[in-house]
Amino acid sequence: MSKQLHKDICDKSRFEVFFKQHAKSLYNFLYYKFGDRLNPEDKAQEAFIKLWENCKKVTPEKAKSYIFTIANNLMLNEAAHQKVVLKHQKTKTSHHTNLSPEFLMEEEEYRQKLEKSISKLTEAQRVAFLMNRVEGKRFKEIANLLGISTKAVEKRIYGALKKLRQDIEEL
Amino acid sequence: MNKEKLILKWLDNNLSPQELEAFKALEDYESIVKLSNYSTGFKAPEFNTDAALQAVLSKIEDKTVTKNNWLAPLFKVAAILAICFGAYYYTTTLDTSITTQYAEKTKIELPDHSQVNLNALSKITYNPKAWKVNQRELNLEGEAFFKVTKGSTFNVITEAGIVTVIGTKFNVKQRLNYFEVTCFEGIVSVEFENNKTQLKAGQSFVIINGNKIERQVTNNKKPDWLNSVSSFISVPLKEVLAEFERQYDVKIEVNNIKTNTLFSGKFTHNDINIALQSITQPLQLQYKKVNKTIILTRE
Repeated sequence: MSKQLHKDICDKSRFEVFFKQHAKSLYNFLYYKFGDRLNPEDKAQEAFIKLWENCKKVTPEKAKSYIFTIANNLMLNEAAHQKVVLKHQKTKTSHHTNLSPEFLMEEEEYRQKLEKSISKLTEAQRVAFLMNRVEGKRFKEIANLLGISTKAVEKRIYGALKKLRQDIEEL
Repeated sequence: MNKEKLILKWLDNNLSPQELEAFKALEDYESIVKLSNYSTGFKAPEFNTDAALQAVLSKIEDKTVTKNNWLAPLFKVAAILAICFGAYYYTTTLDTSITTQYAEKTKIELPDHSQVNLNALSKITYNPKAWKVNQRELNLEGEAFFKVTKGSTFNVITEAGIVTVIGTKFNVKQRLNYFEVTCFEGIVSVEFENNKTQLKAGQSFVIINGNKIERQVTNNKKPDWLNSVSSFISVPLKEVLAEFERQYDVKIEVNNIKTNTLFSGKFTHNDINIALQSITQPLQLQYKKVNKTIILTRE
């Protein structure tokens, strides 16, 4: 986290720096939580525009949680708590051709199972788990972004892992 | 160190070399790593931070241009001023109007201190603003007696014609098919169907059913109705009864009587029986009173 020397971020260059720091994690957070149906990119942008409009009222320390809250609310306004299914993006493997058909089959099967299991996680678990696994964020960072304690993050991620393994085993 | 701790530490990317060995020795090591590796496939679609930033900045630009923050309070002030001015304009140009009901008479002083006596069921309207700049003009429906103070021209506009004076006393009566102007002092000019007639004190100008009626000169100083008497000289019975209805707030029904008969006489405004007798006796009629309706029949 950068030091906040200024009283607000009503300055274009300060705003840009702030945007570059947080836009991507905000976008990822929205994506993990709500999937891509509701245009997480637009909502992330909207949240930043709201921040700019209210930059006098939002202190820099609060700015990050402000955009997360705003974006989250914008999403909630639209999301009717439908089930979120994230698409597994097949990672292109260069040694693709060397793999046996059985292995490919198995791999595809596992991928589908995982997709299903992840959609069964709670929102909180899914967000924390994917932030950790996909983005390699550490517990403390996640706790910071979500405004919860590290302990809670641990609990969510471990809970997610346990549940995923169980589900995959069963399927 | 227990399994959960190890896994958590691994997840948090916080294992020491020895702990890593221990973690690798776990029986579910392989399945956890596999799960973790596959999970990375749920990566969010690529997010182009710079493009998004440009989009946001341009939207912010748009908003600040169209917003015109400093104009907003000005618009508010302008709106208030517009409303105040509108209200002021409306109220000052609004006409003052005075109306009398059945059996009601009233006395009004105009802005120029001229006096108006308004007979029953009559109405005058005028614009006080115009009077302030010496435009003396008013609209009359019904009957009124004017005592005009000297000054600029004084116009009484009625449906039937315009009565113009400068400073004098006169009575104007405009009813259905009936227009009568009587001058009591000074000179009055009456404009009727584009013809101007000058009346001197005591003279009258009478139009009944569109026909001009000659009338004798009166010596009265003011109209009789100001003394609570209605007087008529050769006026159709129809108008006499209409005046009666106005003064007593009653309805008169006639049976088989010619209402065009001319009537000369008076009736008082203070006693309905005496008033009825003063109309019915000379014409040899009978009257019957039922509530607010009076039925007239031949004797």
